[in-house]
Amino acid sequence: MTTEKTISLEINGRFFQAREGMTILDVAKREGIPIPTLCYHEALESVGNCRLCMVEITHPDWKGWKGLVTSCLYPVEEGLQVTTDNKTIWNTRRTILDLLLARCPDSDVIQKLAAEYGVTVTSYRKNDVETKCILCGLCVRVCAAKGANAISSAGRGIEKMIARPFDQPPPDCIGCASCAHICPTGAIEYEDTPEVRKIWGHSFKMVKCESCGRPIMPEKQLEFEAEKSGLDPAYFKTCSVCSQRKSIDTIRSAFDMKAVGLGEPVEVAR
Amino acid sequence: MTETCIDPNKARKILERYPEGDASGLIHALQDIQAEFGYVAHEAVELLCEHLNVPISKAFSAATFYKAFSLEPKGEVIIRVCTGTACHIRGSRILVDELCAALGIEPGGTTKDLKFTLETVNCVGACAMAPVVSINGKYHGNVQPGSLTKLIQDGK
Ligand code: FES
Ligand code: FES
Repeated sequence: MTTEKTISLEINGRFFQAREGMTILDVAKREGIPIPTLCYHEALESVGNCRLCMVEITHPDWKGWKGLVTSCLYPVEEGLQVTTDNKTIWNTRRTILDLLLARCPDSDVIQKLAAEYGVTVTSYRKNDVETKCILCGLCVRVCAAKGANAISSAGRGIEKMIARPFDQPPPDCIGCASCAHICPTGAIEYEDTPEVRKIWGHSFKMVKCESCGRPIMPEKQLEFEAEKSGLDPAYFKTCSVCSQRKSIDTIRSAFDMKAVGLGEPVEVAR
Repeated sequence: MTETCIDPNKARKILERYPEGDASGLIHALQDIQAEFGYVAHEAVELLCEHLNVPISKAFSAATFYKAFSLEPKGEVIIRVCTGTACHIRGSRILVDELCAALGIEPGGTTKDLKFTLETVNCVGACAMAPVVSINGKYHGNVQPGSLTKLIQDGK
């Protein structure tokens, strides 16, 4: 086993300990120091697309050199001195948000963030194409992490967008809607009824919980999850609430703990 | 997208050259498909993805990222007018306008009979002989307005 090195660094004049390999953002999050992010998600690898998490770094050995880095990517180092908010950082974030507001003038999320930095109307030319997508790439990354790899970016430069391959319902889409849930601006639309989920041009039939009848996930996703995990498909046919209830009953009867309160089941997203 | 059919056996022949399941062949295979069919045909990409075990989304992403690939069938004769800085200063705009008028298409377009495709490119690295026009890969330098009709005829 490798022993993990402990690193000390300074954020906004306070000292913190961190494990080697953590990023500045990891430490800041742990310590409750606010840094705005749009393309970061703890479950996924960071790529540094949105540039909003910029912080300023310097080091006693750097002879006064300091610079802006993306905190979601920059790994902590011994003696690093980080500033998460000053005029330079503020201006940088303001410019980024000004640009994002030009791209997505109708996004409430961007409007709100931009307003925090004093931008209510973009100073750039507004995008003619109606979109809420800021190209952070979270949807593509979560889809890949899921193992479906159904969507990706298409084109480049100002024409870049998140697209369906050959503009058709993606053959690899399993209808999990992870892309829609992770999208920071709500740019990906989907529609749920108890019977079907409509997303990316597909209409997926929903599987219903065998005990309570509530819709769990699309059939195609269930097949995918069963195959990926090697578990019996039947395992997925009970919703999270009912399966917790079942396990609680099993534990109760096994230990004869009828009287012991194990709490009520909670709904878990899958 | 224009509906055209490609010969799947030709596509399979191309793919035989690439080891199965090796995603690193993606760009090369796409180039071969582009060269064989004149465009990156959807059916060919499906075969490619199966062969190299690449998600179709990734292949589509690569095919739309590089200018060298086209998702639409291209003309037999591909005319590329350089509109890089040097060529622009030496009047490439006039050449573009002239070609648009002569062929009845916009830059990026292909004539209905699939004879000509007109494209603009940014600096082909031959600024000394600006303005540059390439016809089916052959470079022509110091192109004068009015001389294009002949060049096109020669390129056929
Ligand atoms: S959160 Fe770091 S670049 Fe987007
Ligand atoms: S600008 Fe045309 S070749 Fe360089």
